[in-house]
Amino acid sequence: MAGPDRNPIDAALAGFLESPVMIIVGSCDDGLLPQIARAAGAIVDRAKGGVDLVVSGWQWPQTIANVRRNGRLAVTFARPADYVSYQVKGRAAVIPASAAHRQCAQRYIAAMTETFVGLGLDRAVAASWLIDLEPQVLRLAIEMIFVQTPGEKAGRLLESSS
Amino acid sequence: MTLRLRDLQACFEGVIPSIIATASQDGIPNISYLSHVALVDDDHVALSDQFFSKTAANIRANNNAAVMLVDPRDGNQYRLSVIFEGALDSGALFETMAAELRASSAQLGMADVMRLRGVHLYRVASVEAVASPGAAIATSLPAANLHLGAAAMLAARISEASEIDAIVDAVLDGLRDNFGYANTMLLVKYPTGERLVTIGSRGYSWTGIGSEVAIGEATIGVAAAERRAVRISDMSRIRRFGAAIRASAADENHTRTIALPGIQDAMSQMALPMIAGGTLRGVLFLESAERLAFPKDVETALSIVASNAAAALALADNTSGNEQSLVTSQGNGALAGRPFSVVHHLFDDSVFIDGEYLIKGVSGRLLVHLLGLHLREGRADFTNREMRLSDELRLPDFKDNLETRLLLLRRRLEEKAAPIRLRRTGRGKLRLEMAGPALLESR
Repeated sequence: MAGPDRNPIDAALAGFLESPVMIIVGSCDDGLLPQIARAAGAIVDRAKGGVDLVVSGWQWPQTIANVRRNGRLAVTFARPADYVSYQVKGRAAVIPASAAHRQCAQRYIAAMTETFVGLGLDRAVAASWLIDLEPQVLRLAIEMIFVQTPGEKAGRLLESSS
Repeated sequence: MTLRLRDLQACFEGVIPSIIATASQDGIPNISYLSHVALVDDDHVALSDQFFSKTAANIRANNNAAVMLVDPRDGNQYRLSVIFEGALDSGALFETMAAELRASSAQLGMADVMRLRGVHLYRVASVEAVASPGAAIATSLPAANLHLGAAAMLAARISEASEIDAIVDAVLDGLRDNFGYANTMLLVKYPTGERLVTIGSRGYSWTGIGSEVAIGEATIGVAAAERRAVRISDMSRIRRFGAAIRASAADENHTRTIALPGIQDAMSQMALPMIAGGTLRGVLFLESAERLAFPKDVETALSIVASNAAAALALADNTSGNEQSLVTSQGNGALAGRPFSVVHHLFDDSVFIDGEYLIKGVSGRLLVHLLGLHLREGRADFTNREMRLSDELRLPDFKDNLETRLLLLRRRLEEKAAPIRLRRTGRGKLRLEMAGPALLESR
């Protein structure tokens, strides 16, 4: 999926990461105990090879604490309609959410809700997964990108900048 | 309140994907969706090992993992801290999970692609509900006692029936009345056959009496092949095998195959094997347009009903023809009505009445046999016993299933509004009734 411009995040992948796809976030503490969280929206910075993830500090405090301590992060983006998935990994820092981040989260939640309704899911059921209360931003510098779509290619490295 | 895994039954139905996060020994996390998490007991869950090579590598180096489960009814999320205990590639747990995977892959036409490589067993160290603004955490009370009571009532109803058709009706009416399941089918398997045949159904626009399912095919066939219950709680991505489902009568005449009934918008299906005396007797099938219509506790309760029905059917089949009964010939006015043609195709024993496909195989041969006797001897009344003793019928596996084959034939004649009917006139006795003279031709 890497484009001719040799940027680790090509335009198509950037478009996918910012589209209504589910975003799940993996971190771990110093005792190597993993944690799961969800992000409510992503903004890709292709020039820097990074992505900002909006995460509810209210709902996922342990993930925020883990990233503050060690910065290690893995994020999988998956499209509910067809399971097309990518996982990105790298180092992240916690930064305050800007107005743009907050607007991104609101747009994401609205679009994701409509996506689920379109797939026949109840609006109220999806609501618990789409929370942006007390938003924090995980600014991730991407080091590795993996194809994660179930099947033979699952786990294959897409691009590496390290 | 402490949450127990058993309180989270609905999370294990596979409707909303679960998530697993692991970390390598040098602290690099990995996160992915899981196709299937199974509840083992209050302290253990099992995950299917299909694709997840990074997860598998991580847990061998660092056995701590996090799993997130989602309740499909309200969207509530549960965080499990789990510890990898080991991989299994055999045993009861492995076989159950492999059968479930085969069932769902058979629906997708991918039975050969999707194979369970192994099952990973995890001990659950803690279970916590993930906070959600405004959402009450559901702590649903188990309805097991309710289902058990309904199963007992249904089993009593079946026990009261002694004839095959009354047993079939008791099962299907009971599923509707005692459990509220409106779309159901009962299929039987003949000892030598590799197919199941529908002998009763409820809630469809056509009954599908006589329609067949191959052993191993789709939900019903997999339940038969595996001799275990198969449940699907969300079929929204599963393409139904049923282009043939809406087949018209014209297609039936062409293919000599009766279409299996089905509801187009089925979201949940459950197929329960009916086993008695160690032998698979048939399959009880239920479907619903609702997601999660057949939770685990309903499967448990209805498994008892399926066994009970299998025993009742086996008993009825084995005792019905033992009674002596006399042939009582009566005129039935057959000569008065409009003549009709009955064509018997010898190569598959298919029977067409006035050009309309009726049935094939053993049931077809039975009808032609009775009609032949009627035309030769002028009698209309027959006994099961004489059919069992008949050389002309040449049926090796005949003995155990005469009753179900006659039921199939009887109901199919009714459904097709055929000018021939078979009426039961007593235990082990039946009468051929005809609306006009039959012109029987064998080809």
